[in-house]
Amino acid sequence: MHKIEVDAEIDVLSLNKRYAKENREFFRRNNILAINIMGAIGSGKTLLIEKTIDSLNYYKIGAILGDVVCKADFERVSKHKVKAKAINTGKECHLDAHLIHHKIEDFDEVDILFIENVGNLICPVDFDLGEDVRVVMVSVTEGDDVIAKHPEIFRLADVIVINKVKLAEFVEADVDKMIRDAKNLNPKAKIIKMDLKENLGFDEWLKYLEGLYVSRCNREG
Amino acid sequence: MSFATALLENVLSIAEEKNAKQVTKIKIEIGDLLLINPEQLEFCFEAVSNGTIAEGAELNIEFVPPKIKCSVCGREYNEVVGVCECGGFVGVDGGKEMIIRKVEMVV
Ligand SMILES: Nc1nc2c(ncn2[C@@H]2O[C@H](COP(=O)(O)OP(=O)(O)OP(=O)(O)O)[C@@H](O)[C@H]2O)c(=O)[nH]1
Ligand SMILES: [Mg+2]
Ligand SMILES: [Zn+2]
Ligand SMILES: [Zn+2]
Repeated sequence: MHKIEVDAEIDVLSLNKRYAKENREFFRRNNILAINIMGAIGSGKTLLIEKTIDSLNYYKIGAILGDVVCKADFERVSKHKVKAKAINTGKECHLDAHLIHHKIEDFDEVDILFIENVGNLICPVDFDLGEDVRVVMVSVTEGDDVIAKHPEIFRLADVIVINKVKLAEFVEADVDKMIRDAKNLNPKAKIIKMDLKENLGFDEWLKYLEGLYVSRCNREG
Repeated sequence: MSFATALLENVLSIAEEKNAKQVTKIKIEIGDLLLINPEQLEFCFEAVSNGTIAEGAELNIEFVPPKIKCSVCGREYNEVVGVCECGGFVGVDGGKEMIIRKVEMVV
């Protein structure tokens, strides 16, 4: 019995990367636009999905809803007559590519697949799901420094949605500061000022989404 | 918990390959941008490795910074910024890996 030291060069996150790659290939093969919606708890992720389903009824839409314990979001989205699945992550505070891998097979028919991540601005960042588009949604009620406080997730976003802007004056949040922070962290991201209850910015979101879908199909040839 | 779990799985597979009886030390490199708190990782690793041959293994953690550089003027930064003073886009390279470098074990 003796001690040995083994040299290694093992990427601990490689398993997630492998599944993400397979998921991405699945989305390509089936011509699916996959959208990972991340964001703060209660920022409006599920409502955004619900309203989008109702507005884009000429697309076939599917949704995977990640939640820590319950199935409330799944039940909400299911009412809109689309295929939906829930993933309970238990104590994990994010979805990972492997969890998604087991669910996506059933969505091979859809045009757009929404994946609602667990409400959290830190942990989902490092877990690529194989999605095409990363949306990060916050609302003014989280405080106007919420973007500056979580640079990583905003830096890697394709779309940054600032929701509930009509409540800004009541919570004394400076929406312009939030937009400035977002632009400064991520000059390439699409930034949308939104209020889902007042329909503000929602058309801009729909247009953007359709644009993505079209360019996606063109790439597919 | 998931970083600790992934770490354990990888360590156990290295150890099994060598028919190890016990894992005593693990040297890992962690990118700064993963924002991992080493004490928390140690604690989680202790919890998940309980009852495995990696139980009680010491974690030797080295943090690695990312390379943050303006794509226009080449100026380097110590922290993540979106836009350089020159107006150029500042790219970030690395800082997000978790790599096992060495595993010490009893065989
Ligand atoms: N006033 C106002 N309320 C909103 C707006 N958007 C969403 N809400 C409300 O905010 C609450 C949370 O919305 P959800 O869609 O459940 O948010 P979520 O991000 O999915 O929440 P979790 O899944 O729990 O993290 C609900 O009561 C919504 O009706 C908005 O633009 N303005
Ligand atoms: Mg929700
Ligand atoms: Zn977490
Ligand atoms: Zn510069």
